[in-house]
Amino acid sequence: MSLMGKSNKRLLLYKDMPNVKIKKHIDIILSPQFYTFLREELGIKFAYQAKQIAPSIFDDYLEDVENYQFFVYKNSNYWYFFAYNIDEITTFLEERGVKKYRINKIFFAQELIKYLDGSILELGENNCLIDIDNIVTVVPKKLIGDEYQTLNLKKIPQLKHSVSISSSLGSIIPFKYTIILTTLLFILGGVFVAEGDRAKNSIRESEEKLDLLLQRDSKLNSKRIRESILAQYEPIDKIERLKRDILVDISKLLSTNSRLKELKLDDKGVSATIKTDNINQTLRVASEKGLKSRKLNVKEIKVERSL
Amino acid sequence: MNLMIFKRFRNELIILGATIFAILTFSYKHSIERDIEQKREDIRNSINQVNRVLELKKIWKSNYISKKIKILKTMVPKSKIFSFKKRGQKVIVKYRGVNIRELNSIVKEVMNNPFQIVKLDIKEVGKESYNMELICKW
Repeated sequence: MSLMGKSNKRLLLYKDMPNVKIKKHIDIILSPQFYTFLREELGIKFAYQAKQIAPSIFDDYLEDVENYQFFVYKNSNYWYFFAYNIDEITTFLEERGVKKYRINKIFFAQELIKYLDGSILELGENNCLIDIDNIVTVVPKKLIGDEYQTLNLKKIPQLKHSVSISSSLGSIIPFKYTIILTTLLFILGGVFVAEGDRAKNSIRESEEKLDLLLQRDSKLNSKRIRESILAQYEPIDKIERLKRDILVDISKLLSTNSRLKELKLDDKGVSATIKTDNINQTLRVASEKGLKSRKLNVKEIKVERSL
Repeated sequence: MNLMIFKRFRNELIILGATIFAILTFSYKHSIERDIEQKREDIRNSINQVNRVLELKKIWKSNYISKKIKILKTMVPKSKIFSFKKRGQKVIVKYRGVNIRELNSIVKEVMNNPFQIVKLDIKEVGKESYNMELICKW
């Protein structure tokens, strides 16, 4: 059981390696052919400090230091410094059939040192990795005697110190997450565009309904004409309905005991004189109908309402 | 130098580009929805306005009103029609001695038709007998 979770397949990188077919994500272990290693005993505490001085440490060993990336970690009293060229590594991997986005973590063969005591790790047919003075070194196989055992990479547990390809390229966000996030954002954008277009279409039904109405009278296309017609007929509609409502209210005051004596209707208002046997009840009903009423004599009342 | 910066922050730049794309499409959607809402409101108002105009024209500007006016002449016996004058879109009718039933019929007819009542003058002149003057226009 591994407490470190599931680990990816590991690929040891060396110059004369054959082409490979990779369909899943992999971790790579760089052989010393792809990095420059220095071991220094320095009085610094933190890795970021060590990383800051790394370019100057390699100044005498590398040309064009600015083309290199650096990785550091502390091992007992020593700071281990690695300089590698990520472009060179990724180009090499692409040539060998490994896509950049398949690479998860990058390890350094130096970390295999503890497994190389009396053993070698083969790098193809000609070379191998061997421990020389606590430094993992590439040597031709023919220089190695028979006393060494060959190490199987698959049996070596997960290594501890790694760097991700995205951080090597300078990106904070790993390439894998970039792809996922970008895809999600593009899908989201697509959804927004589709939503916008759907909203555009949603109004079509209302537009057709309006067109159909306007076909009945093309003059009504103009808002000004519509408003002019409304201005002409709305007051007529309002006042004529009111006249009719008042007439209906007055008619409700008439019964077998109440009869109409007089009624006048003009543009100012409506007034009616009603002769009734039950004057109080008629006054009350008139009041309920919102008609102004007054008693003319014991048998007659006058109701009126202005327009 | 620019190329180096691009290489170094390529992933971030890709995500930034995708984010800008998402923001732009969101703005597109938002502006479309806002415009559509405004347009929908305009169309709704126009439909209501057109419906109202058609309704009002149908009621108050109908051609059949002038034909309908003839009924005011035929509802009561000729002897009770003191005068009937139709001038353009206006009618003046004077009735003499109409009974309650006839009075009710005339008023009901006037109320149920889209005549503009300019004047209505009813006066009791005897027991269940009324004189009436009616001016309508349309």
